[in-house]
Amino acid sequence: MISVTPTDNQAERLDLENLSAEQTALEIRNLNLHYGDAQALYDISMAIPKNRVTAFIGPSGCGKSTLLRCINRMNDLVEICKVNGEILLHEKNIYDKDVDAAALRRNVGMVFQRPNPFPKSIYENVVYGMRLQGVNDRRTLDEVVERSLKGAALWEEVKDRLNASAFSLSGGQQQRLVIARAIAIEPEVLLLDEPTSALDPISTLTIEELITELKEKYTVVIVTHNMQQAARVSDQTAFMYMGKLIEYADTNTLFTTPSQKQTEDYITGRYG
Amino acid sequence: MAATQPALGASNYRLFKDRAARWGVSLGGVMVLVALLLIFFYLLYVIEPIFRGVEVNHERSFASPAGGEVVAMGVEEQSEIGYQFNASGELVFFALQAKQGTDWEPGKTLLREQVTESQPTAFAQTQPQNNRYAYAVEGGTVRLVEPKFTSKFRDGELFITPQVGKVNGGELIQVDPQGENLTQLAYEYDGESMLFAAQTSDNRVIVNSIQASRNFLSGAVELQSKFTELPITGSISQLVVTPDLRQVLVRQNNRFWVYDVSRTGTVKERQLITMDAPRFGEVTSMQLLAGASSVLFGHANGKVSQWFEVSGDDGRRYQFIRDFQAAETAITDIVVEYYRRTFYTISAAGELGVFHTTSEAELYRGKANEVAADRVVIDPRANTLLLMNDNQLHVFDLINEHPEVTWSGIWQEVWYEGYPEPDYVWQSTSGSDDFEPKFSLVPISFGTIKAAAYAMLFAVPIGLAAAVYTAYFMSPSVRKVVKPTVEIMEALPTVILGFLAGLWLAPIVEHYLPGIIAVILLVPLAIVMFAFLTTQLPQRLKNSFTDGRAALILLPLVALVGWFSFQMSPVIEAWLFDGNVRRFLTNELGITFDQRNSLVVGIAMGFAVIPTIFSIAEDAVFSVPKHLSNGSLALGATTWQTLTKVVLLTASPGIFSAVMMGLGRAVGETMIVLMATGNTPIMDWNIFEGMRTLSANIAVEMPESEVGSSHYRILFLAAFVLFVFTFAFNTVAELVRQRLRDKYSSM
Repeated sequence: MISVTPTDNQAERLDLENLSAEQTALEIRNLNLHYGDAQALYDISMAIPKNRVTAFIGPSGCGKSTLLRCINRMNDLVEICKVNGEILLHEKNIYDKDVDAAALRRNVGMVFQRPNPFPKSIYENVVYGMRLQGVNDRRTLDEVVERSLKGAALWEEVKDRLNASAFSLSGGQQQRLVIARAIAIEPEVLLLDEPTSALDPISTLTIEELITELKEKYTVVIVTHNMQQAARVSDQTAFMYMGKLIEYADTNTLFTTPSQKQTEDYITGRYG
Repeated sequence: MAATQPALGASNYRLFKDRAARWGVSLGGVMVLVALLLIFFYLLYVIEPIFRGVEVNHERSFASPAGGEVVAMGVEEQSEIGYQFNASGELVFFALQAKQGTDWEPGKTLLREQVTESQPTAFAQTQPQNNRYAYAVEGGTVRLVEPKFTSKFRDGELFITPQVGKVNGGELIQVDPQGENLTQLAYEYDGESMLFAAQTSDNRVIVNSIQASRNFLSGAVELQSKFTELPITGSISQLVVTPDLRQVLVRQNNRFWVYDVSRTGTVKERQLITMDAPRFGEVTSMQLLAGASSVLFGHANGKVSQWFEVSGDDGRRYQFIRDFQAAETAITDIVVEYYRRTFYTISAAGELGVFHTTSEAELYRGKANEVAADRVVIDPRANTLLLMNDNQLHVFDLINEHPEVTWSGIWQEVWYEGYPEPDYVWQSTSGSDDFEPKFSLVPISFGTIKAAAYAMLFAVPIGLAAAVYTAYFMSPSVRKVVKPTVEIMEALPTVILGFLAGLWLAPIVEHYLPGIIAVILLVPLAIVMFAFLTTQLPQRLKNSFTDGRAALILLPLVALVGWFSFQMSPVIEAWLFDGNVRRFLTNELGITFDQRNSLVVGIAMGFAVIPTIFSIAEDAVFSVPKHLSNGSLALGATTWQTLTKVVLLTASPGIFSAVMMGLGRAVGETMIVLMATGNTPIMDWNIFEGMRTLSANIAVEMPESEVGSSHYRILFLAAFVLFVFTFAFNTVAELVRQRLRDKYSSM
């Protein structure tokens, strides 16, 4: 049996059922998702609070990554994927016909499971998003690079070799570079899809500390396989199973006094 | 513990399989390399002899059988018998070597015949391949002689007997109607007519054209003589008659006249050259080169200069072309070969020189076997050299297989006979024996590059665009059908493509030329316009306008633009090009138009190259890791931004090698260029003219080239150049690809 002890850095509790508009970053309403004939998400409804870390946990194939990818419409790239329901960002459904997915993704950044720097220099990786928006002023870009790399706790390690290839970095450094790249365009929401699963324990620790710092400026949603990680970094946790949202609660509550039997079974290691 | 034993036993077999596989694979790889090296060295082995120098090997020496002053010598084709004419009118045949079954020994006289009844006053010989000799005797008459050889097989051995051939039944021919003795004589015949030029003892220079006609009734041969005099006074140094019986060349010290005698009975002075003695040196001898287009002058300073007729504003005129430093002392004798442009010189110091005019090659210079020769002669096959000095004859074995080829002659401009200026020309054969072969690989190498370049112009945009679209935009289900279909195109035999291009496409291109050009210009324009229009749509519509649907709407648009272009073709032709583009191009713009031109080749070969480029580039784009493009998209990039900034960059090594593989294929492609071009080896970037490529050249000429000849070896050289071309392209491609991959390799 795994014992999970939530750490002290959790923020004060929120009433997740009744968040005010200022407290809400995203609201998911009755979201259903099909891959072809197979349904992957069943009627998910939840509100994700602003400047907090929300974790999605659950066994493999439970739909937690799929849900995450709905938030910035990365599922659009899967041809057979069909989404019903709403995800509201600033009261606007991001699945409305007049929403430009690219514009949405500028506001909802994403970091993937495996570090995926571009085959460019460290500098160019960080400013990639800025250049996409047509920002080419050297001074602005320099500032963005420094701010983003500092924000991703990578500045001290790479400030002398910004023009070196991104591939010269270690895995953990690459993942922080990718985070720097994501925050360079200052999104409101940052989606982290198992950001440490490909990393060693020390890099994982660095990233986890970083996540805690990131929530001051961004709303962070993290998918993780690792329950201790969810417990360590998140403020509230959603447990999903078989495409359904089983329980969504304050992290301390979920890990100490889960209301659902399935949640309890999972966090105590009965399956997963 | 015991349970582990069988596992160890089983691993032995696995080890064996592993080793066998490793050896098998290594062996295969090594064999490929060995095969490549074998091809490489075989090509070099065949090519190498053309760059060898001349070998002159002394065989034997013996006393000259003919007494007195020798005026001419010759060697029979098998190099078994030699002959000499001496100043007293004797023709002597002698053995050049001992021969089994006979009592021959080197220098043994086989036949000696007094040809003239009295002391000759002058002597002349035709160009070597005509093999006739003329003695002028008293009273302005001439006796013609032809050394003849009859061959018989006895006990499987060839025995040759010499004979003195009588021309005109041995009768004397009256050359000077006034009956004066002749002091200088020139003689040539073309199988029917004879032309004599001579100086008489009273210093007239006369020309007499004599035609033999057979009387049908009596069978007797009658000679018709047409006689003229040349307006030259004073004693002349040398007379030459060209074998086409059209020109008489007269040399009087450093002055050189060209007389046109092509209308028998009349004489026209074509040209008078006074040679600048300080520049060229005093002239000491004059000789027609094989083919009789060039005149060689020997000079007192040891140089030999070549002159031939070049078309200019005032007709064809002899012009200085090039010279050779043949010796340090005056040139006393120039002897030419029967068919090739090789000539042999003898200097006053007895030095032998062997040169080739076309290739400007000095093949040999020096005293062969320390013999200070004063006469030289070469046999018809140009492999036996007979040198004479002080009544001694020396037989040399001459190995001079490929004098016409030099490295500079292949790659640099050469001034060929009859051309107005030095040029790059490939013309390996012609109908006549006198032909000067022109082996410049420049025009056909150029043709290869031109064909490949036009093919790439057509294939690269289409191939790459198709590859990117298929790999990046197309839905997986459609891609599953499209990709193999395009790849099957690669298996289409190129002979079919060439056939279609030559017989179906070429006439269409010719007929609808404005339409074809319009398609090339309008289709990309229409696509760009269409793309621009879609961006102007409201966001709501744009989102429903997925890439797949856009393509479906685009296809009819492209078809429509194509149809429109072809429909407009006659209209444009009538409106802009006076109703006929071909005539307009040729007459108004001065652009040559061939029906089988580079445009046709570009399209047809482009079609053959597209699958290669498509297949490799598609794989490269498709194998760009999804997490890279997703990473870009997640940063708010549009699909297009992701494509240009991340995907193409990452796929660049593969795309580059796709283009280079396509280029390699285009360079080596044979059937299409063979069938869809005119195979004219011209050097011009004009898209409306054809070309000849290295590969097509080999395919066209290899069947008709004699094994071991210079032509044959040059074709191997062309193959070698092609090999080097593709090898260089692939090596550069691989190096660049490696560098790109190091730079853009992803995880």
